[in-house]
Formats: sequence, C-alpha cells, structure tokens
Amino acid sequence: MGLRDDVDKILIPEQELQARVAELGQAINTTYTDADRPLLVCVLKGAFMFLADLTRHLEIRHEVDFMEISSYGAGTVSSGVVRILLDLEQNIERRHVLIVEDIIDSGRTLDYITRNLETRRPASLRVCTLLSKPARREIDVPLDFVGFEIPDEFVMGYGLDFAEEYRNLPFIGVLKEEVYQAATNHTSPRAPSASAGGRRSRG
Amino acid sequence: MKLPDAIERILLDEETIAAQVCELAAQISADYADADDLVLVGVLKGAFIFMADLARHLTVPHRVDFIALSSYNRNTVSTGAVRLIMDTRASITGRHVLVIEDIVDTGYTLEYLLRTFHARQPASLRACALLSKPERHQIEVSVDYLGFEIPDVWVVGYGLDYADRFRTLPYIAALKREVYE
Repeated sequence: MGLRDDVDKILIPEQELQARVAELGQAINTTYTDADRPLLVCVLKGAFMFLADLTRHLEIRHEVDFMEISSYGAGTVSSGVVRILLDLEQNIERRHVLIVEDIIDSGRTLDYITRNLETRRPASLRVCTLLSKPARREIDVPLDFVGFEIPDEFVMGYGLDFAEEYRNLPFIGVLKEEVYQAATNHTSPRAPSASAGGRRSRG
Repeated sequence: MKLPDAIERILLDEETIAAQVCELAAQISADYADADDLVLVGVLKGAFIFMADLARHLTVPHRVDFIALSSYNRNTVSTGAVRLIMDTRASITGRHVLVIEDIVDTGYTLEYLLRTFHARQPASLRACALLSKPERHQIEVSVDYLGFEIPDVWVVGYGLDYADRFRTLPYIAALKREVYE
C-alpha cells in the first residue's frame, strides 16, 4: 500500500492504540454518570476516528457534537484564536462537556477553545486527547484524559494527516523525513505544511 | 448484552456491519484504484462512525471532508433543499467525490446534495450509504455503494440517533414504536 511506504516507523501499533482507547473509555465511564449525560465535543477533522472508537466503549449515557475550526493565519498563532467554521449544535449551558481532541501540541488552540466554551457556562468542562506532545507545550492547559504522551516527531494516522493524507492509517506512525521535506521548504519537523491547514498550526 | 429499554430489537449486529463495511471498502478501493484525488465527504453527524470505519479499510489514497446540514422547514421537503451549515473545507472541483451518508430515507436530501455538488464540476460524483429504506423513497436517487436495505422502522446506533440518543451504540437497532410515535 502506497501510503504505508511513506511511514518511517510505527510509533503506536493498532492493538496498543485500541487497548488504550478502551481504557480511556472506561475512565470516562467512571468519571460521569448517566444523569450527567456528558456532551462529547469532537474537534474536526482530526478527532473523528478517535471519537468513533472511544464512544464504542462508553456505557454511560452521552451525546456527541462537533466543532470545526480554522486558523486565521500566522498573526494570531500566539493568542490561539481560531475561526469557528462549525459551532456546536447544542447549547452547553449547564451541560457536562468533554472536549475530544486528537493531539495537543502547543496547547494554544485548546486553551482558546476551552475559554470560548467556558463563557457558555457549562456545568463542567474536561478534555480528552489521544496524543500529547509535552515538549511542544507553550501554554499550560489541563488535560483530564490522555492516551499517549509522544515525542516531538511528525506523526500521522488515526485521524491525523499530513497535507490531508494518511488520516485513515489505523496506527500512529512517523512520517519519513524526505516526504515532509519534499512538501515544504522548511527543515524543522515543526514546520507547518501549507495545505495541512488545520493540524500543524493547531494546538 | 443488555439492550436499552427503548430498543425493540437489533437489526444489524456489530460483526454484520463490520463485514459489510469491509466489503464496501474493497469495492471502492477497486473502483478508485486509478483515481487521483479521491475525497470522501461525510455528512454530519450521522456518518462519522461509518466514515471512520470505511476510511480505515480503503487502500487507495484519499482525503476526508465533512459537511453539516440543517433543514429549512416543512415547506421545502419536496425539493429537498437543505441549508449547508458547514460546506466542504476544500474545493471539490476536478476531484473524485464520494458522498458518505448514514441513511437514505426519502432520498430528497441526498438528491439535493448531489445536484449541489454536481454544479461544482467534480471529476466524478458518487454516493455511498450504509442504510437505505426503499419503502420510504420519494425520489429516484442513485446510491452507488449501499450497505443494507432495511424496513421502514426508526433505527438508531452506529451514528444514527433519536433526539441525539443512542447514536454511538455499536449496532443498528429498531426503536420501540411507542418511543417515537
């Protein structure tokens, strides 16, 4: 399969990933009750695959909703302010809200989303992320459920893309350097790809 | 397994769905083997689980995109006109587009969506739906990849909801009539 040829190494194999997602589901089951009826807020596009698998393990009553965001551009990176392309369908006032993210990088976008949702006065607000890159953190954001802490490498698969590809790989892999070097003029693994839009500039 | 009280019976269990999703992915991978620039457009919220499972089994490179719809009111039902709350992130012009739906009911919405997308001149345009209710169809709409035909009952699970409930059940089940009538 062509896409797999671009993978330098598998960071988290499918089985390990699925086992951890099940554990996160159990942790969420013990955190909330049916009466809490938490609303899982999926931040698109990256988190859709994680959400699909995570919710299979939830035994408590819950609902799901979606947000899609886009960065305004380089000037607003430090504030974390993003444009909301799709806002929640539901009013979250007095609701228990659980943000579901694929990866927390600098933390700035998550910090902004958290502040944005806090203004709507939810009963509680927690964060569940599949991946976290502590080495990249620029702002302290509390994470309630974390699947894996990973090193600062160029990861893709399981919802995460590079230039919109590789999202459907069932594992988390590290992209070969020559693949992302070929697609960008920058040399650092931090370099945003022009077309990745969402994720590289996301926190 | 204990079923929620509101559930009448399971129509399609987890294994049956998984096998059919695999089968659909194999067909799609074969059909698009030579297609550059395939994009799957998932219709929120219902299609997100189907999309996550289908995409994982595709062996052809593709992008994913999502759209969100809302109906105007009863008067527009017959034209199928819906409000695009969120359009695709990337342009579909010149791309091979496969619309991913959870269910085709009257067919109006899908037919409207296909007309809308067709106007944007994609390289090709097809539809893939997990479920279809033939008894409910009001308009002819071609579904190129279909998972299952089901009877005219209210189904929940695997992305489908009743007032936002039961959406993430891993199987597809019929709701008890007294719940929705």
